[in-house]
Amino acid sequence: MTAVRRTVLVGASTLLLVVSLVTPASGSELNDVLAEASYATYTASRLVVSVWGGQTQVSREFVERANGMEMVRRDAGWSMAGNGRAVSMGEEPKGVAFVTHQRGVDSTRYTVIERGKALHMSRPCQIVEVMEGGIVRASFIVDDRSGAILVAEIYDGSGDLFRRTTLSDFRAYRTYEAPTGGSGIPLEVVMPEAANSLPDSLAGYQLVGTFSAPGGSEQGFYADGLFSFSLFVLDGRTVVSGFEEPGLLITGTGVYDLVPTAQAVRLRWQDGSNHFVLVGNLPPDHLTDVLGELPTPEVRGMWARWWQRLFG
Amino acid sequence: MAGVTPVSERLVMLFSCYLDGALSPEELDEVVRALENDEDAIAEFRRMQESRTSVRLLPLLDVPVYLLPGGHLSEQLSAYLDGELATQELPIVTFHLGTCTDCRHEFAELDRSRTAVRALPGLESPEFLDVHREVKKAHRRGLHTAIIVASGAAAVALAFTIGPLSSGPEPTSISINDLQSRHTAIASVPPGGIAVQVTNSP
Repeated sequence: MTAVRRTVLVGASTLLLVVSLVTPASGSELNDVLAEASYATYTASRLVVSVWGGQTQVSREFVERANGMEMVRRDAGWSMAGNGRAVSMGEEPKGVAFVTHQRGVDSTRYTVIERGKALHMSRPCQIVEVMEGGIVRASFIVDDRSGAILVAEIYDGSGDLFRRTTLSDFRAYRTYEAPTGGSGIPLEVVMPEAANSLPDSLAGYQLVGTFSAPGGSEQGFYADGLFSFSLFVLDGRTVVSGFEEPGLLITGTGVYDLVPTAQAVRLRWQDGSNHFVLVGNLPPDHLTDVLGELPTPEVRGMWARWWQRLFG
Repeated sequence: MAGVTPVSERLVMLFSCYLDGALSPEELDEVVRALENDEDAIAEFRRMQESRTSVRLLPLLDVPVYLLPGGHLSEQLSAYLDGELATQELPIVTFHLGTCTDCRHEFAELDRSRTAVRALPGLESPEFLDVHREVKKAHRRGLHTAIIVASGAAAVALAFTIGPLSSGPEPTSISINDLQSRHTAIASVPPGGIAVQVTNSP
């Protein structure tokens, strides 16, 4: 009897310990983690590695982050984004600013689990896992003091690592002058518009905002609390440069032109009357689900392929 | 008497003119005679010569006009709007704009003008102004002829299709990087937050 009681006591204690170490939290806590990370103030080198269609994309950049603004220096150029504004210094410096209020996004499809404390780069950190149903969708190492996500691992639907983002040479600051580059660059100001042809939700992603885009096209911004993408619906005659030598993404719904970067996937296809361009950071299985709910690529015949080759 | 030197004021004036190379022959004789016989005159001449040399060796001072009392910012305003102002000038200009009504008005007017100019449609330069165009045309002419001959009947067939389409408006061209930039901007708005950074001015 004593042995049975001891076994029960030990079992109960172990269960309590496990429950206390692994604390599930609601989807709203995912917003807290991401919001705190977006307002962390730091400088760091950032390495992003992702795998698309068997090909590895790598990006290394220096990041300054303060007051929600992030300045990224890569090679000789730089870009800046934050609070609805993005400025890039390419051959022709340009910027865009969105005047909008972002609606709250329902992130209930994710659950946050705190896996415990750890030391990373000699900094006390929290290990956090983001669960989507029964699978681990993301794993974060979050700096205790600044709230910055020092390591982010994103997994695809089969549990394979799909993207890894690592901050090194990390320095957190209590006060840091926000990056102010590009103050003289003319900005295109974009106002929200009523949705014209875009669905309210796509495979668990909610339509957060609709905006006009160049050439009379429409931009829908979709998010699910962790990932986001923009869907551009362009007139069929619009030419999108940057897809001159695309890779191909083949799904059950068709063949898409694919030009990925380490941070984002970029797709283009045409359904006969419209061009579609999708840009976002969503994982491959989410992307397949989203594409399944959108107009599918037309099957181009010989004449169309010839025309495409001649005139782009 | 204090300040009185043994050298006469006239001689000092003649020395100055001598150093400037502006003496008449008679005045030059007078200066030479003084420098041969009068030690005080020689000392005065050397002092004046050293002073002139020192002044010539001074670096040129280029004082920004807006640092002078009553100065304004006309030249800096344009650079400020272009984002080309030197880092060390930025706080000076910002402070001046905060205190000088004239410059604020000029700044606002300049900004309005630029906005209006940017809003103008792009203009194609007239052919007669583009001296390179004819040269390029000449280079291309040979290539075009070869292509036209080679394509032959295919070009004729295509013309039926291209004709009606080419008379329409030019297709819009968009870079995928621009579209990604738009996504990055809107994705950077925090949930429940407002994106309000719409002005170019800091």
